[in-house]
Amino acid sequence: MAASCMVRRVCRLSCCMRDSALREWPARALCASRVSYSSTQAETGADGFPKVQFSDERVQDILSQITGLDLQKVFRPVKEELKPPVYKVMTDEQLHQAKCWAAEEARKRLKMPPVLPERKPINDILAHDKVLEGLETAKYIFTDITFETPHRQRFVVVREPDGCLRKASWEERDRMIQVYFPKRGRKITAPPIFQEANLKNVFLQDQHEALLDLCLAQFEPDSAEYKKVHRLTYEDIEKQGKYDLLRSTRHFGGMTWYLVMARHVDGLLVDMLQRDLIHDAVSLVSLFNLVHPQSESAEEAHKLKAEGIDLIKVYAKMESQRAGYIELALQAHQQAV
Amino acid sequence: MNSRTGISKEFSIMVHLSSTLLKRYHGGFVVIRLALGGCTNRPFYRIVAAFNKRARDSKYIEQLGTYDPLPNIYNEKLVSLNYGRIKYWIGCGAHTTKPVAKLLGLSGFFPLHPMTVTEAERKRKQAVLMEAQQVGEGDKEDEQDKEEQEA
Repeated sequence: MAASCMVRRVCRLSCCMRDSALREWPARALCASRVSYSSTQAETGADGFPKVQFSDERVQDILSQITGLDLQKVFRPVKEELKPPVYKVMTDEQLHQAKCWAAEEARKRLKMPPVLPERKPINDILAHDKVLEGLETAKYIFTDITFETPHRQRFVVVREPDGCLRKASWEERDRMIQVYFPKRGRKITAPPIFQEANLKNVFLQDQHEALLDLCLAQFEPDSAEYKKVHRLTYEDIEKQGKYDLLRSTRHFGGMTWYLVMARHVDGLLVDMLQRDLIHDAVSLVSLFNLVHPQSESAEEAHKLKAEGIDLIKVYAKMESQRAGYIELALQAHQQAV
Repeated sequence: MNSRTGISKEFSIMVHLSSTLLKRYHGGFVVIRLALGGCTNRPFYRIVAAFNKRARDSKYIEQLGTYDPLPNIYNEKLVSLNYGRIKYWIGCGAHTTKPVAKLLGLSGFFPLHPMTVTEAERKRKQAVLMEAQQVGEGDKEDEQDKEEQEA
């Protein structure tokens, strides 16, 4: 599928990545029942306060609100097979209904991929039969191909040449499941674009969104490579200040969560204020206070019961490193108003 | 339970809905075996439930897995097994051939096949013999070199 895409279309980086990965999320949603992501329960943080998780309702609401819903960007033209355009003549009411339907579709496409803790390596030995030493020079990998079992519960065991029967590691599992139950857009070995040297070129070309789509198609959300690629992408975006690249895509929530957890929220805040997205800026600061309830700005805000722009001012005073920028931007906004 | 056993009593298929096109075999039974496929110098086996009297590669009842005897770039031999269906066929009285029994033993589904253990022991003995021979040959060469030097 991916090979024919590349042959038919111009082999430019952007179209390769977008075409193979863009259709992935609806397909994943359909077979979501076969892959169960275990949600971690609310852990207590260092001081015994309940730690807020990515999958909490409040967090998800704030993140989806901040992501925005730019229909022009979500439904931008993608390189597809040439078809003659379809023109429809509609009444105002039908147009309104079509726009509502488009907004629903866009919300489905903007569904955020889960942020999970990194998976722990599997080190389970089932049996060690020393009598089998010297029998084979290669390992045997046995995969259970029962159709109904979810992939996470599938048995994949390895018989080593020294007679040890162990459970397969995560990389071996992913590879075997891709061999016997191939997923569209996923290759057996990771494409070389995910190597660090090549990532730099991708970032120079501003292809962050397409790269993250490809990463989502290729790796499992709790694997080390997935986390590494996402971390490097988010760090590059934060360094360059290119937050708008991911706005109104499904990766914006993940990026915001990462920045909030790492406490590098200033750049994003300044960017929002410069684009006159005051509501978004307020939600961002409230999310920060939710996630870090022990920080100074959270405690101050709780004391003063600050709302709206006052929240941002409190945050600028207590927590941020670029207080000057934030206050300047706030003043500029108030003058414009 | 609908059990259309239009086939001889030797192997009592309890719940299998046999299609009317499946031939009756006198004294036949269902067997789980390897059907060879692939190309020249490239074997590939399908683990298959078939009637005993059928040709090795011809029509089978159900495919239960695959076995690739050539190791891949990670030095792995890939075997896929549909354990659910294998259990069903063994429950219906299917026999397994030796290679399939060995594979299932290696995977942990069956206990280890005794011939697997025997072959491992034989290979170990062979390896020890080969080493001894090589050491013997090495000694002989050293002696020959010394004689030439003296001469």
